[in-house]
Amino acid sequence: MSDIHTVSGAYALDAVDDIERVAFARHLEECPACVREVAELTATAARLVDAVTAVPPAWLRERVLDEIGRTRQIGPLIRRPAHAVPATRRWRRAAVAVAAAVVLVAAGGGALAQEQRVRDAQRQAAQAAEIEAVLTAPDAMVQAAPGPDGLGRVTLVTSRARDEAVAAFGGLESPGVDRTYQLWTQRGDQSTDKGKLGTGVTSGTVLVAGVRTEQKFAVTREPAGGSTAPTEVPPVSLKLD
Amino acid sequence: MTSPRPRVRPDAAEPPGLDDLLRRVARGDEDAFAVLYDRIAPRVYGLALRVIRDPAQAEEVAQEALVDVWRTAGRYDPARGSAISWVLTIAHRRAVDRVRSEQATADRTRRAAVTEVAFDEVVEEATARFEQQQVRRCLGNLTELQREAVDLAYYHGYSYREVAELLGAALPTVKTRMRDALIRLRDCLGVSFG
Repeated sequence: MSDIHTVSGAYALDAVDDIERVAFARHLEECPACVREVAELTATAARLVDAVTAVPPAWLRERVLDEIGRTRQIGPLIRRPAHAVPATRRWRRAAVAVAAAVVLVAAGGGALAQEQRVRDAQRQAAQAAEIEAVLTAPDAMVQAAPGPDGLGRVTLVTSRARDEAVAAFGGLESPGVDRTYQLWTQRGDQSTDKGKLGTGVTSGTVLVAGVRTEQKFAVTREPAGGSTAPTEVPPVSLKLD
Repeated sequence: MTSPRPRVRPDAAEPPGLDDLLRRVARGDEDAFAVLYDRIAPRVYGLALRVIRDPAQAEEVAQEALVDVWRTAGRYDPARGSAISWVLTIAHRRAVDRVRSEQATADRTRRAAVTEVAFDEVVEEATARFEQQQVRRCLGNLTELQREAVDLAYYHGYSYREVAELLGAALPTVKTRMRDALIRLRDCLGVSFG
């Protein structure tokens, strides 16, 4: 049984992180039996709530009913039963969202020449495919660590077979005025630059190539243009070997 | 998957009407939402309280989750699961997001030393209602490691990675235990879908 398949229990218990959720959702697309299993295991997890029900304070009802009166709904009219969007396609969209994060990171450089944009778009599409490939690799290993000062989260999915990793950043604290988060791999006292999130950027997804022979993945806060070597003790460091 | 087959589902399968209520809510029916609220709020709030432990924060999270149910009702897909599991998935995700962002991992790890007590509390709280008794009995049928894994993940909001660390078990073991535990619970509770 493949590794990804066994995550169904953790998935139903919500004990996975965002990247694993996307990776597993991708797996569901190719595994109809898993869709049923997950539906059943999720329903089973929901039954666990029977043991912990509690009556909320009466004012909560008023407050919620009041708030929904002011809250716009999303998507109620999209459903067309005759040619409904296959449920599975929505899972694909989740994967694309990860890919879109890359585009966000890569963009932001102002107006570029059309030709350059096309090339960039092609490169980004290729990179998005690469990212998906890492996330769904049979040997994908997922690690996570809190961001600097315990804010946000850094998640690293590594495929040694592909010699690549995907690093996802969410809700980090600001790297500081005119500073950027920079990514490194390290071996001994040798650090290799693996790119930057961008000045002031606190979330995003980055493909990191060349990890197999490295010992650590690290993140530091550097001046806007980036540094040639880390200028601080990495506040985030994950083992690669 | 969603062939337009006439839906003649016997009402006994689930507490009648949650599906219908949700469909009406998706069309913007506020009265239907009020009825739905009364049906689901104790579970949404109870779950938030169990995971977060702090009543004030649990109230906030329950409110967010219930408003989410209103906001996204149109996205509920009966082909993917029952209405109640959809609602509780939203509530659990919200509660977990809160606890995971709330404390640094180290902090939570320390707190989890009392996990066995916490599980006893859960069992204690399961009072005379039949479903509760059933859940309690079925939880009792799990192995120690299975029960702890489910307890830490679902009732405390830990990721399986954290659970592995807390229990000093290997990652694949924890993953497998979680799946085995849910399968055993599913069979014990007679949960089926589709």
